[in-house]
Amino acid sequence: MSNILSSILTTSFAASIIRIMVPILFAALAASITEKAGVVNIGLEGTMSLCALIAVTCAWKSGSTLVGVLGAMALGILLSLMIGFFAFKFKTDIILCGIAVNTLGEGGAVLLLYLLTGSKGDTQTVMGAWSLPRVTVPLLSKIPVIGEIFFTNQSILTYVAFLCVLLVWILLYKTPLGIRIRAVGENDHAADSVGVGVYKIKYTSLILCGILCGMAGAYMSMSYMTMFSKGMIAGRGFIALAAQAMGRGEPVGVMLSSLLFGFAQALANYVKGTNLPARLVEALPYVVTILGITIYAISTFNKTRKIRARKEKKEQKKAAA
Amino acid sequence: MKSKSLRLFGYVRGAAALLVAFLVALVLIFLSSDEPLVALRYMLLGPAASWSKICRVLAYMIPITFTGLATCIMFSANQFNLAGEGCISAGGFVGALVAIYCPMPTVIHQIVCILAGALIGGLIMLIPGFLKTRWGVSEMVVSLMLNYIILDVTMQFLTQNFADRSQGATMTFPYKSSAIIPKIFAGEQVSYGILIAIAMAVLCWFFLYRTKWGYAIRMVGINKEFSQYSGIKVGAIVILCQVVGGILAGMGGVVTQLGYFQQYRWTALTGYGWDGITLAILAANNPIFIPIAAFFVAWLQYGCELMNTWTTVPVEMMDLISVVIFLFFAADQFLSGFRQKLVVRETKKELAEKAAQQSKKGGEAHV
Repeated sequence: MSNILSSILTTSFAASIIRIMVPILFAALAASITEKAGVVNIGLEGTMSLCALIAVTCAWKSGSTLVGVLGAMALGILLSLMIGFFAFKFKTDIILCGIAVNTLGEGGAVLLLYLLTGSKGDTQTVMGAWSLPRVTVPLLSKIPVIGEIFFTNQSILTYVAFLCVLLVWILLYKTPLGIRIRAVGENDHAADSVGVGVYKIKYTSLILCGILCGMAGAYMSMSYMTMFSKGMIAGRGFIALAAQAMGRGEPVGVMLSSLLFGFAQALANYVKGTNLPARLVEALPYVVTILGITIYAISTFNKTRKIRARKEKKEQKKAAA
Repeated sequence: MKSKSLRLFGYVRGAAALLVAFLVALVLIFLSSDEPLVALRYMLLGPAASWSKICRVLAYMIPITFTGLATCIMFSANQFNLAGEGCISAGGFVGALVAIYCPMPTVIHQIVCILAGALIGGLIMLIPGFLKTRWGVSEMVVSLMLNYIILDVTMQFLTQNFADRSQGATMTFPYKSSAIIPKIFAGEQVSYGILIAIAMAVLCWFFLYRTKWGYAIRMVGINKEFSQYSGIKVGAIVILCQVVGGILAGMGGVVTQLGYFQQYRWTALTGYGWDGITLAILAANNPIFIPIAAFFVAWLQYGCELMNTWTTVPVEMMDLISVVIFLFFAADQFLSGFRQKLVVRETKKELAEKAAQQSKKGGEAHV
């Protein structure tokens, strides 16, 4: 046990947590924005997968990883708008739209990969390796421990991800658009009655979601790995949904729950080499999610019950008077 | 109220959705193959090439029929539970353990295995059902998480406790011969499980459309608040439909395992749960249509596999067909302009008829 502790309490282990949590954080922030607008987008997984492929492809065609990231964002927006179009215009259930995009991400990515490269497995042989620049922040990396974990040799998108936590918080709570997004999510009829364009807001939230998912995908294929390979997203889109649910859609909460998932995954990766039950450790984040959203649901459940009880008491008093 | 032409419209819309799916597939096949017509022939007619190929289609129908039925029942009550995917693995795994370690006379052995799988499926689905009913926790997130938990737990037990170490791949010891569900035709892959699947489809139809509980499930799906108001115990129904879904998926896992495999060797999620959703959409949540939809999907799936083997088109073509089905088949407003015209025409005709009748009557009165 002390053996495990000593190897967990290293800066390289902490850095690996960061590396694992970044794509989850991007996607969970994406899910938070749509969730706040009352749009249930479960197509994150598929969007990430296709964006990951497009990121490498665009980088390969143009020779610039920046173009790769932009291409991934553009595709993310396109896929999110597709979900919106079918859900709002054709009235397909939005959960089914999400499942459709996930299926597209699984099969369509392989098909596209084949059309582009002739391989059904990965992009490595044709497109080579692509990696976003790694950055060591000059002064900050000198801070003991924290500098080594956060500010040394991390992908540029890692910093963007943490910056996005702040940006999404500002967007949701300090801008008129954020108020509209939350109003639409809270009660779209009420928002509609005061002149907010409900569908415009929902589409806007989907566009923002697409941008963040695009970055998640680009991180996967150009930082986490240096290529796209079949099945590389491996449920991260669903984990992000869970992180969103557990963090209650609040940017900071989402960051903390993504951190928890990163920790559990990194721990499971480490435990694989020992005689501890690795698969059970891997299941931990999912169990924690169920517990987390249940505890949250119980607390809101009790709150509404208390408010209701108080109201009833008042009414009884009134009636007695 | 629902006139004949409107019902006809439903079929037309379904056919149009399938046509779109077919066209998308066609375009992609032409893009990805040098000999598109050969590829197309494999996809559409490949499975008809021989009797044993048709039997394979029937064998592939079995798991997806079960997950399709499970999805039908849960979606009928508007419960977006997606754990059919996990339950089929969990049921299959537990059924497999009973088949390996509990020697019993044949027939009884199969029944006990299937019941064990059904039981574990139902128990698992109690979790999202109970959490939804008691505290309003989203069944969708819980069920998605359960899929991964189930996979991790079964893999832990499989690799640590029940693996046959003499084999190269991860798998259990072989099933006792008394537990195997026999094949219908010697040497072909389809087992008597197909009959169980079809029987379950009929049973589910009866449950959903001819019993009190089925009625309550459908009512909760149509209008939860109204159901509550009219005295239906909504909470109990929400749990019930998910548990029934789990039972069906669990059974499906066992029937597939004992009818198709010699030992348990699912080391990843199977994807049958998602196929089940496609089926439920195709069958419009009516269990009786599930076997037909299953045959259609199984046919296309196997056709795509054959196309993958013999031409350059990847098997993932099937996913794209599913995507289009997902998006268009369940789209309420797809071709809605056409429906609007239909309704207007019908109403005009009705009004004209009424007017004609009235003027006739009026004329008679005058005379």
